[in-house]
Amino acid sequence: MTANEVVGLIKKNATAPWNERSTRDRFKAGNPDTTVKGIATTMMTTFDMLKRAHAAGLNMVITHEDTYWNDPDDTKDLTANALYKLKTEYILKNDMVVWRDHDNMHATKPDYTVVGELRSAGIKGGGNATMRPGVLTIPETTFGEFAEQVKRSSGARAIRCVGDPKARVSKVLVGPGYATPRMTPEVDVVIGGEQQEADGGFDNVEYVMDAVSLGMAKGVIMLGHVISEQAGMEDFGKWIGIFIHGIPIQFVPAEEPFW
Amino acid sequence: MHHTHLSRRRFAVLAGSAGVAPLALTGPNPLAAQGSDQLTAEAVVRRIQTKLGGDWPSTSPDGFKAGDPGTVVKGIATTAMATLEVLKAAVKANANLILTYEPTFYARADGAAPAAAGRGRGTFGFGPDDPVVKAKREWIDKNGVVVFRLRDHWQSRQENEMVTALAGVLGWSNRRIKSDDALYDIPASSAENTVAMIRGKLKLRGGLRAVGDKKASVRRVLLYPGSMTPAVMWQRYSEVDMIVAGEVREWENTHYAADMFAAGEKRALVTIGRVASEEPGMRACADWLKTVVKEVPATWIDAGDPYWRPA
Repeated sequence: MTANEVVGLIKKNATAPWNERSTRDRFKAGNPDTTVKGIATTMMTTFDMLKRAHAAGLNMVITHEDTYWNDPDDTKDLTANALYKLKTEYILKNDMVVWRDHDNMHATKPDYTVVGELRSAGIKGGGNATMRPGVLTIPETTFGEFAEQVKRSSGARAIRCVGDPKARVSKVLVGPGYATPRMTPEVDVVIGGEQQEADGGFDNVEYVMDAVSLGMAKGVIMLGHVISEQAGMEDFGKWIGIFIHGIPIQFVPAEEPFW
Repeated sequence: MHHTHLSRRRFAVLAGSAGVAPLALTGPNPLAAQGSDQLTAEAVVRRIQTKLGGDWPSTSPDGFKAGDPGTVVKGIATTAMATLEVLKAAVKANANLILTYEPTFYARADGAAPAAAGRGRGTFGFGPDDPVVKAKREWIDKNGVVVFRLRDHWQSRQENEMVTALAGVLGWSNRRIKSDDALYDIPASSAENTVAMIRGKLKLRGGLRAVGDKKASVRRVLLYPGSMTPAVMWQRYSEVDMIVAGEVREWENTHYAADMFAAGEKRALVTIGRVASEEPGMRACADWLKTVVKEVPATWIDAGDPYWRPA
């Protein structure tokens, strides 16, 4: 089976309409006619991840995030970049091929990135979550205890929190990656991957700082982009295993980049 | 408000809702104070504009965000982000005009009506009826505080205070290689020791994150307060041992730094937090204000590192 045929099967089995104009959900490197020996699903095609996939004998990478360090994987300004050449040559030399599934995954019910994010955060009942799962209720606890639980459960080293650790919280709103949701009056805790810190569409960080100053129980947890969408790529691998047979499919995590 | 003596264009800039053309800074100041006890917030802003000079881009987010610009100023406080805690500290320090680098009302729209595209989806900005927005506005009005956003106009100073002030706090003032570039040659040390030093000097909590080679020997550093785009990262990372930036996007710049590490490159990318990276520049702004607005005291108030890490 070729990589193109793998993608054909994924599109055929997708339950959300396919957007052929997406700049994200495309082949990013390698030859689509490559014969697939094994599939690695991953959150992001880092160079380290590529090496581990290759060592495991997996030559097709299905990635949720980019390969070339910008959202649409635009490489026109990178042709003379040494790292771009090194990474691309590694992919070609090892007969590898990279295809990205991002937009369709977020449009699908369930959105595996959110299912995985809720599971890795230790929040129950998110097995069928969409990209915007709505407000979830957890057993009431303090924000500090909850943040510790999320850190232990997700293993996120560089997790960042804003808010009063002593505040009593129970209403949680979760979003994947950069789609960290906006804090609302009904919500106690927002969990996301990352977000522009200030001067954006909505600035949760300053909002929560001021809410705490006003005595409101609010907090934000930033897991890091990789950690927030990582676990779902294992679920995605299981899903494609339903209709792709005879080829090994393995989840190969991207490394959490921070010390 | 009644400002018939202000041209429409000039008022637009003052109010942060600028028209199409940049502000012309000529002629006598119609808002000049009658005496030092009558120095209004508007007069202070006019003086800042005159003294800073340069271009005043019409797309600027700068302008009055809350309070009455006609308020007589007792003292000025500068900050990277006018949180409620910063405003409270300002009032305690007897300052009632706050100059903030970042928004006051939790979005670029900064208290203005959210953009049409965001309406209904509930994801853009925070409307005037939001309880936090409301409470902050009430607090500001009750305490007679005026908030002005001073970002583009301060940033565009030739001296590039945002960079030099950050270097100053890190102890690198005399280490700059060229006056027109933010490159510094610092005493060589490992990346992890350099990171520990940065964390200590900037009093950071959970906001600092580093990626790359911990053991790399760091001598040449690029300072980049604020947000760094991937294009800048691709162009400049190979020139230096370390980039110290405010913030980046993790699937772009952080990914690049992680891949450089995987390729064996001995470098590190350190993000210290957008606001934390901007505070030294606003401290420098307070120092500068003391030289141009001598009638009232000016002080810098640190918004602090917003983040902590759970145990």
